[in-house]
Amino acid sequence: MMERSREIMERSSEEGIPSEAAVLINPRHDQNANLNPIIASSSSSSSLRPEWPTIDGPLGLSEQDSVGYARKFFGFGFLLLPLLWAVNCYYFWPVLRHSTSFPRIRPYVVGSAIGFTVFSAMLASWAVTFTVGGERLFGHAWDELVMYNVADRYGLTGIF
Amino acid sequence: MDRNQRNTSILHTLGEEIVRIITPVSICMLSVVILVSILDTDSSISSSISTIATIAYTEDTSDSEWDKFKGALLNSLVFVAVVTAVTFLLVLLFYFNCTKFLKYYMGFSAFLVLGFMGGEIGIFLIQVFKFAIDCFTYLLLLLNFAIVGVFAVFMSKFPIFVTQSYMVVIGVLTAYWFTMLPEWTTWVLLVAMALYDLAAVLLPGGPLRLLVELAISRDEDIPALVYEARPIFDPGSNTTVQRRTWRDRDRRGNPESQTTGPQVGSETVGSSQNVEEGNVHELSVPLIERVRDHGLQPENLGIEGIGLGSLGAIKLGLGDFIFYSVLVGRAAMYDFMTVYACYLAIIAGLGITLILLALYQKALPALPVSVLLGVLFYVLTRVFLEEFVVQCSSKLLMF
Repeated sequence: MMERSREIMERSSEEGIPSEAAVLINPRHDQNANLNPIIASSSSSSSLRPEWPTIDGPLGLSEQDSVGYARKFFGFGFLLLPLLWAVNCYYFWPVLRHSTSFPRIRPYVVGSAIGFTVFSAMLASWAVTFTVGGERLFGHAWDELVMYNVADRYGLTGIF
Repeated sequence: MDRNQRNTSILHTLGEEIVRIITPVSICMLSVVILVSILDTDSSISSSISTIATIAYTEDTSDSEWDKFKGALLNSLVFVAVVTAVTFLLVLLFYFNCTKFLKYYMGFSAFLVLGFMGGEIGIFLIQVFKFAIDCFTYLLLLLNFAIVGVFAVFMSKFPIFVTQSYMVVIGVLTAYWFTMLPEWTTWVLLVAMALYDLAAVLLPGGPLRLLVELAISRDEDIPALVYEARPIFDPGSNTTVQRRTWRDRDRRGNPESQTTGPQVGSETVGSSQNVEEGNVHELSVPLIERVRDHGLQPENLGIEGIGLGSLGAIKLGLGDFIFYSVLVGRAAMYDFMTVYACYLAIIAGLGITLILLALYQKALPALPVSVLLGVLFYVLTRVFLEEFVVQCSSKLLMF
């Protein structure tokens, strides 16, 4: 209820429309003037600042531990592990979602998101080219590279 | 008022907890049934595998039924003997505090299952669907999948959903591999494993019971592959529902280790006041991977049994997932009618086990009731129900 009254205050002071709430609240407006900058910044994101940086909420990591984890996931992802970047983004989804929260964790998560999109775009374009192009595009090499032929050639289905 | 609150909260949370453990078991069974129906490798591949489970006798379709049964019995005895030996080895290692080695071994076996088994099943699927993927992309995706899986199994703090999915996937892959065994061997093996589980947990000298007692006395977690459900977030008291666990921090400094009956201490997290009765017990049964002709491959650390995890949620061993799915997968190799019957039997068995758990407050194995019910239902369906249903539908009487 406190939040709503502040928002009404802010909106009424911005638009200058005399509403019921504004009439009631305006006399106290000067007292609460110093609260306005904080209200303005917090209402720029659509909801309250999240308490937990991980998607598991209270079952996940605290903010201090999260920095180390986010950094490690981001670093290990460079070893050709885009899935780890994706897991990083999924795990720290509240950090991605609310742009002004958790300033220490955010660079790693945003980096993971960008890395994952770039890598998967490249991989997808190569895979689709290979699948659609077929022998017309690659010629003899297509038969050598396609997985089911490779499996037959090296007898990979008999390992286990 | 408080008692009313507690009663409603038990009802409110218990159903949700049961659903949260039955859902992944059902998903695992469904995936194995789908894989078995799609891939249909019964005839060609199964005759050529050589594993610990078929070391004594290789089933031949031309043998008489009594010979097949004897051979299957021999195979199962060998398998159970190896499993017992490895479990005692596990108890020994745990006794000498080699927990790090066990953890690394767990990660390694997860990598083997996800990488090699997953890769092989992926190749089967590609061959069946003629999906034109190239080897570099496939290898990259497979490596990603396997390595992130090792992270999920290894690290304690990982997204819960991802860890749970990987546990189910490991269960599916191992169960699918087990369904490639010959038919009689599979059924006798299932019954043998159920009886072994019963003996190993309840008998005083059983390896799993020793392991549980060691873990309780040391207040430690056994490093093993276990599926842990997400704990219920109780809206009433705004904390997770806590259960009295075996490994409670006893505030009164009581150094005795109790092996029967729950400890009296209560665990409080923050302002939690909802303490209910429960159990914790973790049982481990190693799973044996396939053996090549020239040597033994390292073994998986599976787990069987029901218990409570460190967050107070229900925990089910991966070995249970695997053997339930093997049962249903084998039933799927005959017909879908047996699948439905066995699925219902297994879920009923799981429910009974949960009730017994709440009743006896002791270490209980999760395999025996479900597997024995499942096998019974399979036999009954195959002998009686199928005849009835086929006759009815062909005479256009029902269905």
